[in-house]
Amino acid sequence: MQGSAAIMDILGAMSPGSQPARAQRFTGPAQHELPREFVALHKRRRITDAIAELTAEQGYEATKIGDIVRRAGVARKTLYDNFEGKEEVFLTAFDAAAEDVIGRVEEVCAEAEGDWEERVEAGLSAFLAYVAEEPAQARMCMVEAMSATPAATRRYEDAVQFFVELTGRHVPHSDQLPETMEETLVGGVAWIVHQKIRRHEAEQAMDLLPELAEFMLAPYRSVAGVGRGRVNA
Amino acid sequence: MERLPRGRHGLSPEFVALNQRERLFAALAESLYERGYEETTVAMIGKRAGVSKSDFYKRFESKDACFIAAYDDAVERIRRELLSACDGRRLWEDRMLSALAALLDFLVAEPARARLVLVEGLRAGKGVYDRYQEALQSFVPDLREGAPAPAGGSRPPEATDEAVVGGIASLLARRLLAGEMEPLGDFLPEIGEFALTPYLGAAEARRIISER
Repeated sequence: MQGSAAIMDILGAMSPGSQPARAQRFTGPAQHELPREFVALHKRRRITDAIAELTAEQGYEATKIGDIVRRAGVARKTLYDNFEGKEEVFLTAFDAAAEDVIGRVEEVCAEAEGDWEERVEAGLSAFLAYVAEEPAQARMCMVEAMSATPAATRRYEDAVQFFVELTGRHVPHSDQLPETMEETLVGGVAWIVHQKIRRHEAEQAMDLLPELAEFMLAPYRSVAGVGRGRVNA
Repeated sequence: MERLPRGRHGLSPEFVALNQRERLFAALAESLYERGYEETTVAMIGKRAGVSKSDFYKRFESKDACFIAAYDDAVERIRRELLSACDGRRLWEDRMLSALAALLDFLVAEPARARLVLVEGLRAGKGVYDRYQEALQSFVPDLREGAPAPAGGSRPPEATDEAVVGGIASLLARRLLAGEMEPLGDFLPEIGEFALTPYLGAAEARRIISER
């Protein structure tokens, strides 16, 4: 009995966006007992996925606990066993998404072959690809987080700060450049992507790559002494 | 802003209304600055402005309505400052740097309004975000007008203009959020160079800034 419920949970978790727990029920006798922690983790994941989807659709404020448990297909008690309330669900979802995108960007920057221009462009490209692939998560992090709660605003600022520092690690250094260059560049990129998401065009985020790469690289070229010319579209 | 004299003063109702509106805008911005949006109440705004609750509700339906009106008013003030700073300047880079200098002057002189526009606009949510976006977008055509292309290059794509405006707004908002008011005025060379680089090239932008 417990085993079949656990499998249903996992099936639900494996197909995000589908109506969970409505699919065929397993009624057969032979069932695997899935480890408790595994089930609990997937339930948490379903709850955080649900809040990402719901805030993307209707905004943080309009999203109620009832909506979240319905979407996640879990009992209200399960949510409260795992989280203090809506804000903690949101912050947990934010952290998971931020960790995901930061991990991807950091990795491609580190692994990109070639010079600093290629590393920066690879990182930007990975960031835009994330936005295109995960529009709901992107909207949660870059639009909703800004106005959700003060703690969410701080999370957003911390994530921006991470990208500022990451950029700083990969671009050529020169005391000829303003100290705030990375901050204004990252802020500018964030603003363009933010607007793209608000216009429900997150899926086309990759279209921005040539323009934003040029925007980010141009200030550093003169100090890098490698006039490669414009980035190809 | 000074309160008007009590009792019979012979001032026209229009004048009183305008004066009250302005006082309420200033009071709202100051309350937000000190307490944040959630904690700011109509009573608090009224008290600070020296305007009775009933007079408040004659002017505005709600705190939200006053907030939006105050927001628009603050943006309009910034716009006027920037445009007048550009007045009569022929070169694009002169206009740009004068406008940025005027912006920083305004933000330093009016910290409450600065925070209202740059911080609350993006973070207060409901209804204000569109104002913030419109405000930022409204500066884009001014920036684009007469903007040059770097030597040997072509005019940067349109998204660049928006990224320049958004990048400056983001930097200033972050500093305001961190409560670093004082050094805001010192940012002119930094944001100036950032703003000129896509249009003039990094080396030329640096040269212009260092000569000023």
